[in-house]
Amino acid sequence: MKVLLSLSRGVDWFNTQLAVVANWLVLLAALISAGNAASRYIFSESSNGWLEIQWYMFAGMVLLGAPYALKMNEHVRVDLFYGMLASERTQIWIDILGGIFFLLPICVILTYFTWPWFVESWDINEASSNAGGLIRWPVKLLLPVGFVLMALQGVSEIIKRIAALEHVIDAEFKYEKPLQ
Amino acid sequence: MTWIADNLAPLMFAGMIIFMLIGYPAAFSLAATGLFFGFLGIEFGLIRPDFLGNLTYQLFGIISNDLLLAIPFFTFMGAILERCGLAEDLLDSFGQLFGPVRGGLSYAVIFVGAVLGAITGTVAASVIAMGVISMTPMLKYGYSVRHTMGVIAASGTITQLIPPSLVLVVLADQMGRSVGDMYAGAIGPSIIQVLLFCGWVLIVSFVWPESVPALPKEARTLQGWALWKRCMRGMIPSLGLIFLVLGTIFMGLATPTEAGAMGVVGAIALAWFYGSLTWPLLYQGMASTMRITAMVVYILIGARVFSLVFQGVGGKVWIENMLTSLPGGSVGFLVFAMVFIFIIAFFLDFFEIAFIIIPMLTPAAEKLGIDLIWFGVLICANIQTSFMHPPFGFALFYLRGIAPKTIKTSDIYWGAIPWIGTMVILVAIVIFWPASVTYWIESTMKMDPSKVKIEIQMPEMPPLNLK
Repeated sequence: MKVLLSLSRGVDWFNTQLAVVANWLVLLAALISAGNAASRYIFSESSNGWLEIQWYMFAGMVLLGAPYALKMNEHVRVDLFYGMLASERTQIWIDILGGIFFLLPICVILTYFTWPWFVESWDINEASSNAGGLIRWPVKLLLPVGFVLMALQGVSEIIKRIAALEHVIDAEFKYEKPLQ
Repeated sequence: MTWIADNLAPLMFAGMIIFMLIGYPAAFSLAATGLFFGFLGIEFGLIRPDFLGNLTYQLFGIISNDLLLAIPFFTFMGAILERCGLAEDLLDSFGQLFGPVRGGLSYAVIFVGAVLGAITGTVAASVIAMGVISMTPMLKYGYSVRHTMGVIAASGTITQLIPPSLVLVVLADQMGRSVGDMYAGAIGPSIIQVLLFCGWVLIVSFVWPESVPALPKEARTLQGWALWKRCMRGMIPSLGLIFLVLGTIFMGLATPTEAGAMGVVGAIALAWFYGSLTWPLLYQGMASTMRITAMVVYILIGARVFSLVFQGVGGKVWIENMLTSLPGGSVGFLVFAMVFIFIIAFFLDFFEIAFIIIPMLTPAAEKLGIDLIWFGVLICANIQTSFMHPPFGFALFYLRGIAPKTIKTSDIYWGAIPWIGTMVILVAIVIFWPASVTYWIESTMKMDPSKVKIEIQMPEMPPLNLK
């Protein structure tokens, strides 16, 4: 259990670092997008590269940030039963089983589908079909990487919950509906 | 066994409901439903094994969708505006301006809700900002608890109907219509909704005058010119921001996404102007925006996995046949759709409805010859109620978070009910008077924002290999 818990701590730490990157991408993407609109009308200049970097950043903030959102328990649930009827123990069990049967298989299969796509793009050094566009493989790499990170975070959450059930650690897994 | 194969689509629909009710995060429950029934479908020979490979293109379509970028931008803008001091200024000055009339503070809240709604696109920002600022004075000057809670929740909620609303962007994306048209179509219903709210305050002030008293003289510290100056101090930057975001969209200068980004810059500038721009404020805004965006897009990913398989096992046809054969033709369909969304909104929040339910309803609506802009605005008007439904409505939930402990949760719930009524009336008006939507599309859209020159080519999507 000790080894597992330190693995979980490692994953948590790593994904928290990535969340900082994802946070910055929000601000950068907004500034770049506003800059694009402004430069198009003020200087009549526009560049496909700058337009594309916006959604590269969007992909980054989603795929690198989502594992941290899972750590913070901020992925929205239908909490009709979960919130009202389930006891804390039941909630922990739901999270453990959901992690094993829902989250992990999905992440595995999505990684399985997206990885070859990246490899292909890497092999041919694929570039955007737009003039001045960006190379494509980094954003295609983000997909499998994002799902692997999500799977790791899923494992970490499962470990923490099992540890909590066995009273190895004291942890609260309070769920509140995320603000929108 | 053939029974299962023949009815896999309805079974899958039922399976989705069960998987979601378990209470595991919706994004993964949805995707798991998709995978589980995908394997069943392969097993029964309904879909080819390589069919799931289409997921890759769908995922790429999500992350390269320029329109979805509007989600972080509008959320970020709202997060900054919520705490920059603009709402305080507006509520304070207009509260004093309307104060002498009975129900004056309520009118001020409705008015400021509409102004904030025209600036930003997220409900949370409006409800929290207005709740924090006006709840205490309203209660202090003798407004009844229920009325206070209701008017704040409702006025915050209209944000999602008034352009530039995030809800409209997502609906436009899901229905494949232009955001500009969606925005133009929502102008009329927004005005009607504000009038309905004011009408309700007027009724209350005649029937229960003691619950909406006028402000006492000593509370009105500003008079005449000083008061007007104060109002202007709030209104001028607001109008500037409205122009920056909405104006640029309607004049075709920017895409909705870019308008959202300029809104972010505008909001930062405004916060700086008010002297409230600090690094923690900005960084917290970035962090909460990132988490919300990631969460929402993951729901979309889950929904795509689900709907790809659902289509594969014949779900689209099943739903479409069911919906188009409803008695009463298009009116029957509309009534059904509206009642269905009203009810489902008790359990699902907006993004789940938009990504799961809307793609099921849209093809049927199109087949029945219903104008999708009108339909979208109608859904948007209806979905307002999902923010107000006890006990899960977001607006009520935010209010609970900021209301003092002495206020009973049941008062918040009861307070919301008459306002939900006005929202239902709006839905009825829009159904029977489509011109309330279409009038504004024809008159405002001299320029089509979809013609804004954007050079990004979407990756070619290969046709789905439906068997």
